[in-house]
Amino acid sequence: MSNDILFLAEFAVGRPARSALELATGAAEFAAASGGTAVGLAYGAGATGGAAALGAHGAKHVVVLGDEDRPAITFAGAAAAAVGASAALALLAPATPNGRDLAAALVGLLDLPAFGPVRAARVVDGVVETEQATLQGSVITTARPVDGAPTPSVVLVLPNTFTPAEGGTGTAEVTTGADVGGSPFGKAKVVESHEADARVANLDEANVIVAGGRGVGGEEGFALLRDLAEVLGGAVGASRAAADAGWIAYQLQIGQTGKVVKPQLYIGAGISGAIQHKVGMQTAEHVVAINRDPDAPIGEFADLYVVGDLFQIVPALTEEIRRRKGGA
Amino acid sequence: MKIVVCIKQVPATGADKRYTDDLRLDRSGVEAIINPLDEYAIEQALRLVDSGGADAVTYLSMGPEQAAEALRRALAMGGDDAVLVTDPALVGADEWATAVVLAAALDKLAPDIALMGMASDDARGSLVPGAVAAKRGLPLLSYGAELAITDGAARIRRLSATGFDWIEAPLPVVATVTDQVGEPRYASLKGIMAAKRKPLETWSLEDIGVDAGTLRGGALTRVTDSRPPEDKPPTERIENVAAAEAATRVADWLAARKLI
Amino acid sequence: MGRVTYRLSADHDELRAVVRELADERVAPRATEIDATAEFPWDLKELLAKQDLLGTSMPEEYGGTALDTIAQSILVEELARADATTSLIPIVQKLGALPLLLAGDTEQKARYLPRLASGEWLIAFALTEAAAGSDVASNRMRAARDGDAYVLNGSKRFITHGSVANLVTVFALTDSKAGGRKGMSAFVVETDSPGFSAPRVEHKMGIRGSPTAELTFDDVQVPETNRLGNEGDGFKIAMTTLDHSRLSIAAQAVGIAQGATDAALEYTSQRTQFGERVIDFQGIQWMLADMASQTEAARQLTYAAAASVDAEASDLPYWTSSAKLVAGDTAMRVTTDAVQLLGGYGYISEYPVERMMRDAKITQLYEGTQQIQRLIIARQLLQRAGVGRAATKAGSETVRP
Repeated sequence: MSNDILFLAEFAVGRPARSALELATGAAEFAAASGGTAVGLAYGAGATGGAAALGAHGAKHVVVLGDEDRPAITFAGAAAAAVGASAALALLAPATPNGRDLAAALVGLLDLPAFGPVRAARVVDGVVETEQATLQGSVITTARPVDGAPTPSVVLVLPNTFTPAEGGTGTAEVTTGADVGGSPFGKAKVVESHEADARVANLDEANVIVAGGRGVGGEEGFALLRDLAEVLGGAVGASRAAADAGWIAYQLQIGQTGKVVKPQLYIGAGISGAIQHKVGMQTAEHVVAINRDPDAPIGEFADLYVVGDLFQIVPALTEEIRRRKGGA
Repeated sequence: MKIVVCIKQVPATGADKRYTDDLRLDRSGVEAIINPLDEYAIEQALRLVDSGGADAVTYLSMGPEQAAEALRRALAMGGDDAVLVTDPALVGADEWATAVVLAAALDKLAPDIALMGMASDDARGSLVPGAVAAKRGLPLLSYGAELAITDGAARIRRLSATGFDWIEAPLPVVATVTDQVGEPRYASLKGIMAAKRKPLETWSLEDIGVDAGTLRGGALTRVTDSRPPEDKPPTERIENVAAAEAATRVADWLAARKLI
Repeated sequence: MGRVTYRLSADHDELRAVVRELADERVAPRATEIDATAEFPWDLKELLAKQDLLGTSMPEEYGGTALDTIAQSILVEELARADATTSLIPIVQKLGALPLLLAGDTEQKARYLPRLASGEWLIAFALTEAAAGSDVASNRMRAARDGDAYVLNGSKRFITHGSVANLVTVFALTDSKAGGRKGMSAFVVETDSPGFSAPRVEHKMGIRGSPTAELTFDDVQVPETNRLGNEGDGFKIAMTTLDHSRLSIAAQAVGIAQGATDAALEYTSQRTQFGERVIDFQGIQWMLADMASQTEAARQLTYAAAASVDAEASDLPYWTSSAKLVAGDTAMRVTTDAVQLLGGYGYISEYPVERMMRDAKITQLYEGTQQIQRLIIARQLLQRAGVGRAATKAGSETVRP
């Protein structure tokens, strides 16, 4: 067994996903502690071209599993071959639908211990130790692989757990993964693709999220949230109620059945904070809530709770921030 | 066209939950329900029966004997029969062990579609479906907002970054669906009464050909500590002030934390 | 008179859980709106029908689920906890169908019960008239024989669901000379019959979403095959029906009281005054304790009465009247206290307790006023004590409604 730390590096439309950069950073941190190196497993459109640049974020070596635009899990065969050959200590995977699927396939193919999504992880006595918030955040558990468990340990990592540094240098050594031929996963193919009219922001990549719920009342209300998000340099998200009502695209739904996000700043307007939404954003660094109801559940876990009319407060806040930033 | 829906019995959302002294989830004395996200899988399967796309639905669960209650609740919503895999060796099973057991049970049941919800309330790893597909050597159709059956194949509609895709694979498949399939039906009174008469079998590890020894005590991971989360500082509140004043105070708060 | 005992089973618990979930998720959110608009909740009627909850008193052979009477009480209780108006849907479905169940022949049951059990049709119970409330025997509506049919003329008042029902069980005099006790007969009338109309509904204090209608019968033709039992059986059918149906009101009252207690508990645990939670004040706790224990007492008496119905106890009316008396008075007292505990907020419609208080009042009035219930109970007491029929001001004839 080596002390290397593997990480999944997802590429799409010719660029690395933010998770690829974050996990490269995280893997490099662990590798420094474990005495190994960070090794990326790159897949998706643009993987071949972009793999070397992952070295700027700490990857020493990147194995390219494939360059096609197809579901992440279809790279599982190639990934398993690369993982099997590496004898690494840990494999970091993004806690996104794609990342989970590919991680899950590896767990099944190679009988690997799996953890996640974690709020913290470290290498202790040569094994991975993780911390997770379970039972809707009511209990924090610490976990490790059992003695003699196969390696690597698969660790699901939430977005924004690691922060990629700007301006790093270095290139990674790039090799091509073994061609493992058709795997059962490859039988799943995209047969129809429908683009939405407007581009939808990727919430995983947002540092600031302004989210709206039932209290926002409609698309006009969301326009106010968009203004606030823009002045803060962030993205707009929503609770399931707002998505179900058709005020906003489903890709922007945060919660148990939507995205799990971990921004620096989360502002929830007109959101009650029911558990199904809470589990999608409770690990945000700073939580601000604006609600007409003085007793909404979100008030129990927000850092700052503003009781009032969001239709007045949100525009006023947008104005105030704009003023402080010194622009029109 | 046979569907097996895998469901899990979990503690009720919001119920008082704890870990036992030996650091396993304490399931005693806590109201147990069907994992809410599994209800969408049940609903999707029953809709396929209603529309004539499928003709048999079996529920499969791995858990303690008490998990039979969840299977009865599922049968009360519809479906034909249920199987509970229960064994002392499975106490404290983690996602990997769950996948090993479900895969073996599914191989024995051999459905056209093995259907699951997208995550469970307690573990939230969402790794079981993919691991089950890997073990069974089957394609995975995951995070479907809708599941449809075509000639010899299944397809799901899945949100993409820019819209949605239809992803298709030849049967048999493993599939998971999200809450967008539609509101799960309530169990009707006649459904509840009929459920009592529907067959519910209990299988042990031996029945599905899994050697308890290979399960390494039921998990590849173990919890070494559990504790309540750190006390957060109490929520600061801004109320009973005009909007402009509130905006100023919020901006001050953000500035103090270097967020603007 | 043997001892009536009962035990709640796992099936009872499961039914309660299922109905509570439905009530919390689908009924409670609609309660305020139903009360404000006074509109009959057709959507909830469809939901209850779909969940097989409207045929719980009817035999399985006709599509019902024939639950025991305790289970039927639990169903009503859990619905009433969320909304008294909605709980009336299964209550009145049973009330209207009881004459058919008690006195109908096989052909009549086969003709009508399936659509009632499935909830496709609603049925109402038309006994009360403008001048004949507690004094049922003074009913005036006539059913004149005409060949192999009857012609009904007259009007009924305060008929719950009379304007939305497809069927009505109607009581009318086939022999005016014999008077109400001996000359009344029972009929099932289809409301699309010519001459039948529901010209107006009442504007009420509570259960506002439940239409309380005046019904007029203007030469309404009813075939002989729609008469229940023999001519002259009507009074007895009506009284026996009420002996059973008043238990549903007891269950409704228990549910209303529980809903009010729960609402008061939640509010007082969150409201703070004088730097403390209101629920930590001793005086408040005393009120809550009284509300909870009295509601529980009413509940247990209701279940005991339900058990006596299933055991076909000979003193069944004693039990059902006791339950309805105690539960109705409890509901009024508990809901009044709930408003008191919420203070000013208890008086405004943003909180549900003022509606619950307005809803509770009817449980002291319909299906036999509390005063009539006391007479029924007293008659049983006197009989047991061997002191015979009570001598009342108006004579023994009018003791029993």
